Amino acid sequence: MYIQNMEELVLELKEKIIEVLNLEDVRPDDIDSDAPLFGTGLGLDSIDALELIVMMERVYGIKIKDPSVGKDIFKSVNTMAEFVSKNRTK
Amino acid sequence: MKIRHEVLITPERAVVDGKPIPVTTHGIDMLTELYRTRINDYPRFFKMDELCRLGFVASELLLQAAGDRHADSEDRAVVMFNSSGSVCNDRKYQATLQQPDGFFPSPSLFVYTLPNIVTGEIAIRNGYHGETAFYVLDKKSSALIDNALRATFCDETTQSILGGWLDCEAPDDFLAELYLIEK
Repeated sequence: MYIQNMEELVLELKEKIIEVLNLEDVRPDDIDSDAPLFGTGLGLDSIDALELIVMMERVYGIKIKDPSVGKDIFKSVNTMAEFVSKNRTK
Repeated sequence: MKIRHEVLITPERAVVDGKPIPVTTHGIDMLTELYRTRINDYPRFFKMDELCRLGFVASELLLQAAGDRHADSEDRAVVMFNSSGSVCNDRKYQATLQQPDGFFPSPSLFVYTLPNIVTGEIAIRNGYHGETAFYVLDKKSSALIDNALRATFCDETTQSILGGWLDCEAPDDFLAELYLIEK
């Protein structure tokens, strides 16, 4: 079982998003934890979504087998953090 | 064919129409410096692989020299040539497949494992709807390149070409010799 303070996890996820998606001029403070990641907000695209799915498995040991559920998981950084805290194996 | 403008970029320098652009860095860092100091309005640059960054920066400097992007047009072709394909990015992508216990193919690297993506990036940036092509040659040949460019003008639509040699073997080993050519 992995226990991590939710605030720390949110910050970690923001740092991972910036790192894996090459968001060069974005800092963690610039990302609103409740803002949409796709469409508006950070304006991420479908390739970014695939990279986040790979990141979930590589870093947290979570295999997302059905990409269609990604829409709910990746709604915002907060929804990602909730999902990770409940499902991580690393 | 008439060459209207030209750009040369090596790991040490960038020259537009014979005039060097002052830079303080070299290699891939120099491309970032050129982006930040001369362009700086296209964050997608940071998602590109090295070959695309080279082609993007070179094309932007060329179009700045021209003073007109000729945006949203159907009569401009983007035609590039090299002999290393997308090998610089291919190696990076290969590294994400290498370890049996660390097999995590990267989608954002995968999409750049084709050299012609750079012609697409340039076309998207400028709204070009004409021909795009990327020739991977055994070795650099002026004769072959000249023939291919002349052939590009053989259709009834193409009036200008943004093209030339665009090769990137490593982050500190690349060459861009691009031209804006009119019929």
